[in-house]
Amino acid sequence: MAAKPSTTTTAKATYSPIDPTRKTRPPIFSGSDVDWLRPDSRGFHQCRPAFFRTGAVNSASGSAYAEFGNTKVIVSVFGPRESKKAMMYSNIGRLNCNVSYTTFATPIRGQGSDHKDFSSMLHKALEGAIILETFPKTTVDVFALVLESGGSDLPVVISCASVALADAGIMMYDLVASVSVSCLGKNLLIDPVLEEESYQDGSLMIACMPSRYEVTQLTVTGEWSTPHFNEAMQLCLDASAKLGKIMRSCLKEAASDEQE
Amino acid sequence: MVGLSEGEKEFIKGGIAQDLRSDGRKRYTYRPIYVETGVIPQANGSARVRMGSTDVIASVKAELGRPSAMQPDKGKVAIFVDCSPTAEPTFEGRGGEELSAELSSALQRCLLGGKSGAGAGIDLSSLVVVEGKVCWDLYIDGLVISSDGNLLDALGAAIKAALSNTGIPSVHVAAEAASDEQPEVDISDEEFLQFDTSGVPVITTLTKVGKHYIVDATLEEESQMSSAVSISINRQGHICGMIKRGGVGLDPSVILDMISVANFVSRQLMDKLDSEIAAAEADEEES
Repeated sequence: MAAKPSTTTTAKATYSPIDPTRKTRPPIFSGSDVDWLRPDSRGFHQCRPAFFRTGAVNSASGSAYAEFGNTKVIVSVFGPRESKKAMMYSNIGRLNCNVSYTTFATPIRGQGSDHKDFSSMLHKALEGAIILETFPKTTVDVFALVLESGGSDLPVVISCASVALADAGIMMYDLVASVSVSCLGKNLLIDPVLEEESYQDGSLMIACMPSRYEVTQLTVTGEWSTPHFNEAMQLCLDASAKLGKIMRSCLKEAASDEQE
Repeated sequence: MVGLSEGEKEFIKGGIAQDLRSDGRKRYTYRPIYVETGVIPQANGSARVRMGSTDVIASVKAELGRPSAMQPDKGKVAIFVDCSPTAEPTFEGRGGEELSAELSSALQRCLLGGKSGAGAGIDLSSLVVVEGKVCWDLYIDGLVISSDGNLLDALGAAIKAALSNTGIPSVHVAAEAASDEQPEVDISDEEFLQFDTSGVPVITTLTKVGKHYIVDATLEEESQMSSAVSISINRQGHICGMIKRGGVGLDPSVILDMISVANFVSRQLMDKLDSEIAAAEADEEES
């Protein structure tokens, strides 16, 4: 059984500022099958530094920009506004999500079209966190644009979208923080970059609400044994708790700036 | 859409809480499964699977193609699902598109493994004819004829049955001329190679209604779900893919519990399915 994060404070070095001079591998992988140095010289259990900024788009009700290493994402939120005419009456609000790639987001131009299911994945990750009852009969539109694809795109989009929703003042139970883990051989690599994703044997992505400790979206590919899966899930949950704190502090900063 | 009165909703929820569902099943009992193989003569392999009034067909077609430059030693597999308007009027036109896309991506995730091809249910390297030049492209098409819930599990089972029914023509490669030219191949009409399907996982969807989860939910039960987790598990008991549907969040410990339940249930389903497939194959040979 998974323990609550408060009880497992074996702090893995997720989201600590990285020391660029450190080229040695973390001691966790003292096994014989370690011959992989991550392209950006991170530790296996170390995330890229996360950066969030709200208010990236003026015309939107709320928006956010996120940058995780080379992955750059912009999300704007419109609404709640009138649903399309063809929609049936609904006594709860609707959420409409769309994820698109710029043509220059990927190394080969226009390759972003193989992410068709991202829109529905984003929708599922967010809908559990939003209190849809607070805007009946209306629709909230979430438009995400991946400016540069640098790996772990969907987790960044999800996290960024929930900051944008908070910026738009949409009522939510909690922020949604999302982290993915790649499995290469026996090793688990958190927050993989594009290069690592193309070699991965399996991947696990979790979107969760850190304060409520609830998973809103979960996808797994590749073959996993149960203990290995547990380890990956715990790693993701710990990292998303820390990511949640970063997201929260970004929102607090934005709010205090406004007051001044 | 399922129209249910408040009373009916309570009846379904109450039944699940008491481990006696509307059709008399327990929470972890499947509806009877019927498998028929070789239903589409034009395809290399096909199967029809029925679970209650859920009815699906899967067909496998093999075509010769070129392997991708990234993975010259592997063949390619693509999975598509089509939702016929015969199943439900709302599937007409573009109505079924969203569901089709969701099911196809879920099946790809559950059956085809990671990007490097590791953990795939289908051994992709067995599809190569000449490395880097000729390989088999498998097109797996699922068709939903009638929908009464639990489509993903039924499609997964149908694909497994269709693959075990699949015969791939053996290919004779003519003596090679130049290394940069496409070699000439000769496809045999008589000799077929069987597929090893022992590694193909089965998909088990656990639907959470109230505090409990159920397998093989009907459409009415699915309308009452808070969330559902589909887990694909192979013979070794390893997880080969997982997706969550439905909006409501789940506690991580619940997910771990679901995995252990799915592990237990999928073993029974796999045995049942294997014996059904064997029986269907025997039937087909007789007729």
